[in-house]
Amino acid sequence: MTDMMIETRNLMKKYKGTRAVDALNLAIPQGEIYGFLGPNGAGKTTTIRMLLGLIKPDSGVVQIFGKDLRKDRLQILRRVGSLVEYPSYYGHLNAIENLETIRRILNVPKSRIHEVLATVGLTKDAKRVVKGYSLGMKQRLGIATALLGSPELLILDEPTNGLDPSGILEIRELIKKMPKEQGITVLVSSHLLSEVEQMASSVGIVNQGRMIFQDSMPNLQRKAGSEIYIALSDAEAGVVTARELGCFPRLDDGRLVFKGLDNGQIARLVAALVDARHSIYRVEERRKSLEDLFLTMTGSGGAETDISRIDAGHGAPRAVGLRREAAQ
Amino acid sequence: MNQWIAALRSERIKLGHSRILLLAVIDPLLCVLIGLTAGMEKGDWMGLLLAMSLIHAMFFLPMLTGIFSAFVCRYEHEGGGWKQILSLPISRPALYLAKLLVAAGALALAQILFAISVVLVGLYQGFDLSLIPWELFATRLLGGFAACLPLAALQLFVSTMWSSFAAPLVLNMVFTVPNILIVNSATVGPYYPWAQPMLAMMQSNIDYNFGAFNLPTQSLMITVGASFLLFLTAGLMYFNRKPV
Repeated sequence: MTDMMIETRNLMKKYKGTRAVDALNLAIPQGEIYGFLGPNGAGKTTTIRMLLGLIKPDSGVVQIFGKDLRKDRLQILRRVGSLVEYPSYYGHLNAIENLETIRRILNVPKSRIHEVLATVGLTKDAKRVVKGYSLGMKQRLGIATALLGSPELLILDEPTNGLDPSGILEIRELIKKMPKEQGITVLVSSHLLSEVEQMASSVGIVNQGRMIFQDSMPNLQRKAGSEIYIALSDAEAGVVTARELGCFPRLDDGRLVFKGLDNGQIARLVAALVDARHSIYRVEERRKSLEDLFLTMTGSGGAETDISRIDAGHGAPRAVGLRREAAQ
Repeated sequence: MNQWIAALRSERIKLGHSRILLLAVIDPLLCVLIGLTAGMEKGDWMGLLLAMSLIHAMFFLPMLTGIFSAFVCRYEHEGGGWKQILSLPISRPALYLAKLLVAAGALALAQILFAISVVLVGLYQGFDLSLIPWELFATRLLGGFAACLPLAALQLFVSTMWSSFAAPLVLNMVFTVPNILIVNSATVGPYYPWAQPMLAMMQSNIDYNFGAFNLPTQSLMITVGASFLLFLTAGLMYFNRKPV
């Protein structure tokens, strides 16, 4: 059962008296894409920096590949590829030279440079000076750098931050390939639930430095819960039809809203509504947002302090707004 | 040791397209001008060395030391490279020493080019090559280089501490300018890292027999060695713990 690639126990880091990371227990099994989710300032980057030994935890233990980071740091790092916050690069050098500076330290064959450039699709621009790269290209170079040493574990901190939609898609596809093609375990952090949802197989949610949820993606989706909205010609008559099938919707602005329907129920419901001569305009699924999820997970009392902390500047109106949404 | 060589070879690439080493050429070129206009008595090799050393040791060497030490950290400051390089399987002391050695290597180059330029100026003015006091020349030139090392260690310490290329240079400049006054003091001069290159290259001779110039070479070198170890240890200890 100890096939954990990363395991932390009671990890804690204090900055000026506040705990940026507090009692954090990460558990990342091999072969997973682990989505490390939380709002900005939740302690994701601080945690990742501790995992890489860039900063020292005030207390707690980090184990990677079952080894203690304090004792076997260099051995561990040899098998880890990472990209922290924004990509690091030497602007005056081209992509090949950038990778060469790293290659000489990792001591891998020169052919790896061209392999990783091909993996991230930078072969064509390899001889251009990196200063002139777009953010997306720099990010891909960062991922190429992380892959250079053929790592078993890839740690990517907000790899899609600041990218345009096509850039995000490219990076996401790249990450999704890793476990399948090369057996790499990936830890990827993000502040966007939708983002993590599209690539992660398991997920950990942090808030205020604490892990508030850690489980598989399907379990999170179950927990987040989704609602089916059906817009139709006569909503009130529709409610009656639905009740006959044993579904009890609420009404929202001329739409029926259902909770926890499976595919079969939706199919039967739509068929019944059509039979009853309703015109169906829209059938859509709505997920709860990350904020809603936090509210559910932390409970209303905790949520109140959460929100006021996240939005310190204009906290009050936003907190009220969110609570109203939650109450709906 | 392997790590250190790997780090050194990695640093080499980063210097690749930069023109920083041109500075090591400009310094002797300017000193050549001084040598040509100094009007030395024919065959006075030591006089020529001293004349050309004045600006070189008082100003250029400390400035170059500061520039090279800041330069080896520059690209890491700019591109967020510290996070990347310190996440690699390399120990922090190995990386730090590699950077110090690159700075020292650039200084050695400047000193070698300076030596060559002194000899060329002498030959141009018709001095007899066989009359060069090699032993004295070597002591002055090697001593001057060695006396840059404490400053290099100190400036590297400052350069890793401040995430900026310019700030350590300003500091270096501010402390280099008073050299001309500080060498007059036999008590402060030898301990002042910015003045040590000048003292090592120009001390105890007929023209410079005042202030800190009167100290014997040996005691100056002991001070140089001790301050190098002090600054190196402090820098290494800081860098080893620095949160990135």
